[in-house]
Amino acid sequence: MPEGARLSRPLIYLAALCLFAFSAGPVFLSFLGSVIPDQALFSFPADWFGRGFTFDNYRYIFTGELPRSYEIRGANRGMISDAARQVPGSMVNSMVVALAVMAVNVVLGAPAAYAFARMRFHGRTLAFMAIVLSRLVPAVALAVPFYLLIQAMGLLGTKTALILVHSVLTLPFTVLILSVFFRRIPTEIEDAAIVDGCNRLQLFLRIVLPLSLPSLAATGLFAFMLSYAEFLFALVLSGDAANRPLSVVMASLARNVDVSWGILNSAIFLAVLPSVVLVAIVWRFIVEGILVGGVKG
Amino acid sequence: MITRRQLCAMGALAAAGALLALPTTARAQDVTLEFVVWNYSLETIQDNVKKFEEQNPGIKVNVTDYTWPDYHDTMVLRLRGNTQTDVIYGGQDWLPSWAAAGWLVPLEDHFPEVKKYEEKTASYALSDMTYNGKLYGLSYYADIISFIYNKKILDDHGIPVPETWDDVLKASLKLKGTGMEKPIVYEYNQELPNFYDAFVAQVYGRGGDMFDENLEPLFNDPESEAFKQLQWLQDAFTKHQIVAPETHESKVIPAMNTGKHAFTIVFNYVLAAMNNAADQPLAGQFDLAAMPGDAHSTLGFAKFYAMTAQAAEDDARREAAWKFIEYMGGGDYQIAERWAVEKGLGFAQLPLFDDPDVQEAWSSWIDMEKFKQQATQAKNGTWTEWAGIWSAYFRPLLAQAMVGEASVQEVMDAGAAKWVEYRTLLRGG
Amino acid sequence: MRVEAGRGQARAAGAPATRAQRAAVGRSYGEQALPWLWVLPALALVLLFTIYPVAHTLWTSLHRVMILFPGEPFVGLANYRAALGSAFFVTALLNSLWFTLIAAPLIVLLGLGVAHLLLAEFRGRFLVRSVVILPWVLPGAISAVIWIWIFHPSWGILNLVLYELGLIERYVPWLTDPSLVRMSVIVAHVWTQFPFAAVLLMAALTAIDPQLYEAAKIDGAGRWQRFTFVTFPQIKAMVVVLLVYGALVAFTSYDLVYAMTAGGPGTATTLLSFQIWRESFSMYNFGNGAAIAFVTVLISLGFILAIVKALPSDLFGDADA
Repeated sequence: MPEGARLSRPLIYLAALCLFAFSAGPVFLSFLGSVIPDQALFSFPADWFGRGFTFDNYRYIFTGELPRSYEIRGANRGMISDAARQVPGSMVNSMVVALAVMAVNVVLGAPAAYAFARMRFHGRTLAFMAIVLSRLVPAVALAVPFYLLIQAMGLLGTKTALILVHSVLTLPFTVLILSVFFRRIPTEIEDAAIVDGCNRLQLFLRIVLPLSLPSLAATGLFAFMLSYAEFLFALVLSGDAANRPLSVVMASLARNVDVSWGILNSAIFLAVLPSVVLVAIVWRFIVEGILVGGVKG
Repeated sequence: MITRRQLCAMGALAAAGALLALPTTARAQDVTLEFVVWNYSLETIQDNVKKFEEQNPGIKVNVTDYTWPDYHDTMVLRLRGNTQTDVIYGGQDWLPSWAAAGWLVPLEDHFPEVKKYEEKTASYALSDMTYNGKLYGLSYYADIISFIYNKKILDDHGIPVPETWDDVLKASLKLKGTGMEKPIVYEYNQELPNFYDAFVAQVYGRGGDMFDENLEPLFNDPESEAFKQLQWLQDAFTKHQIVAPETHESKVIPAMNTGKHAFTIVFNYVLAAMNNAADQPLAGQFDLAAMPGDAHSTLGFAKFYAMTAQAAEDDARREAAWKFIEYMGGGDYQIAERWAVEKGLGFAQLPLFDDPDVQEAWSSWIDMEKFKQQATQAKNGTWTEWAGIWSAYFRPLLAQAMVGEASVQEVMDAGAAKWVEYRTLLRGG
Repeated sequence: MRVEAGRGQARAAGAPATRAQRAAVGRSYGEQALPWLWVLPALALVLLFTIYPVAHTLWTSLHRVMILFPGEPFVGLANYRAALGSAFFVTALLNSLWFTLIAAPLIVLLGLGVAHLLLAEFRGRFLVRSVVILPWVLPGAISAVIWIWIFHPSWGILNLVLYELGLIERYVPWLTDPSLVRMSVIVAHVWTQFPFAAVLLMAALTAIDPQLYEAAKIDGAGRWQRFTFVTFPQIKAMVVVLLVYGALVAFTSYDLVYAMTAGGPGTATTLLSFQIWRESFSMYNFGNGAAIAFVTVLISLGFILAIVKALPSDLFGDADA
């Protein structure tokens, strides 16, 4: 346990409660918005729980069955947007792209980071700078040249285009962060292995990588999250609904007059779920690794 | 071991086979049209497309959709990058610049029969689809900008429906006195073209205009209706504090449905969403009133199907594209009627105003007579090649003036100067 | 088996024999060529998508590229002059600056606090740890929807709760008052970014050798001194990374703020990225847009240099190999 973590008990619990509320509160709000009927949600004076809960919105997104409120007299059945039904499919698209980006980042980024951290070669600083500073130009300005480049490669509207572009956006930070972590590995361990006769590659694969699993997992997660949530290039490079990522669908739902607040929030809550699952799987891993202290015999 | 003879024979057979496989000139050639839309009710669009394909074997239509807020920008990317695009949704504010850039072609150049639809089209829509005197499209939908109010609130407080902007101010102050903090909710978003359109609609309501027939700016004259209206807005925002801004019409709907606001100015179709009993707590309380001002006129606009220059280059594509455009926007107006009845979308096709199906479907959310009345009084906006980019320049200025960050005179002067600058640049003065 | 002895940089130079052996390993496999194999795939991918786009943007900024005008003549620095001279640019620049200068350090500070908290022992720790990453997952425009609902002046949750609790009499204009809206937007932005900082700082904190703390305690250092002289130097590299990343993200931010306020009220939250987009796609002036983009690049470079200079660490320096 690091320094400073031994604060007074009540203070810790208070801080933990605040943190919990701050992080989860807005998402929980979204959940409430998805299961409380709109009429109750916007009632003034506020009476949120007067009409009970409904899962009609989720049912509509997955099956297309109109929410019950559309069956009442006077309701305009045509006014519900089918755009919301694209959410599950686009979620799958985004997950596929994000997982691939995660893999690319680890496979390409880790070796590069290790080389920058531990090897000496001409042009090392230049190459490092080139990778890291490539992120300086605001994405907004790159929309046109990226579009032309991807179009020239014949990849417009494909998931591959997004995987490539997102990897380019995340690699600089992956390399930067991993180089910091790799430098933290004690040189004695590496020296011991070299004395035992390991070459660089064996050293990397058998010693360095296992030791850095938590940081690799954290960096991989970073790449996943960035890709999953990325919007600008997802929009510019996307094509038809089959390959459309979640962020583009969500943005259009947010400004669609025929999407009720309930359906919008259902989509938001759904968008969060798969990532929570992924993180739950990977998180234990990171945390355990971090806690035990990074160096296992 | 294959002999040369055998190779030749195989080659001949292959060639013969290929020749037979070629469509003969007697059979219609298979064309795949690239149709680009914004994704309002994509299912309906795809169903319409399917019906067209059934009636027109040999023509396939591939639908690519973008979201409305991003449609314009991604279309610019697409058209600039020469991605295959044949039929698109066009907008009144983009037509002049896209036509001048050579991206769209006039329908009447290749298909003079399109002119037969002119007399059955609302005048503002017709103007919106015309550039340099030529017709570029057939209408997908057309609408007006409406002044919408909450009937119940006005009735409860004994306030008559406002006829002038003075009335609106008086009514708002009275409501504010009873505890309604911001009686007007206003779509305030400098990035959206309709932020400017809504302002123009108000100017039309007063009987004024932004430009005269020589494209000279009128609005920087303090006596002009446009100047007065911006001043009215500035006072409403800053002095009387009766306006609550919202960044998008989709937020105006829940805002009005809290019952905390009485007036707003939005596209007419938003009224349908506001009055939707399925989602909205106060559905049924909202109605349309004639735009306040002496003239009660408003801004009308049309979105339409247009053909790209790319499509027009190829004979087969051009023919197919025209068939598709006529099916969707012309013919016996079946598709336009479907949009009106099922989705409450406005229309430019005059016969539909008296269509019993449309009237019945619309009766649940709007007073058809009032709509007809307002539509006949609607005017189109002034659209030139530079109007779109000028509007992008002017909108932030309008936004600043409204909240008092700049004076009305400063803003109007800057806007007028820029307009003249662009006009001189593009048309030589 | 835990290796106890000196982790991290605070070590004397390695024994000569080891270094020579290390060098031998390197040399025997082609000291110069082999490292490039490790670096090339990542470098090539990044360069492929950097060189052309940057060159294209630079070229565009030096030519008149406007859709309504045929031809793209060279205009030198005219676009830069036009862009820098516009009042909108100055406003957008100032807005982006205060946004970055407040948000980036705030994110790192909050991340540091959260990291410390999450490493403490308390019941329910796993639950809090799992929940902390939620904000990270949502696209900016979507987080904006939730935060609009929270901050909305008329139908927002915050006003509702404060009103019901009797803490306010009238609804507060969180999003429509120029000073309040800046705070609201920063809160929303920090919410989306702090999990990332917290995770990385957690990792960095646990890599610190506890023996260093023991040594400091023996020397009589108090808790604050232990932080300043032990903790902070050890995590400096990570702090620099997070500040740089945070500054870049904030300075070029687009989605969240745009969705929350569309740059309003007036021009209170109009950022540089809006300017770039508007110039290019609304005003059809790609030359101006590219010029603003390059100015943004230069300023971002300035940020990075300032941060790296202010917090010297081994980040960009020579490795000890």
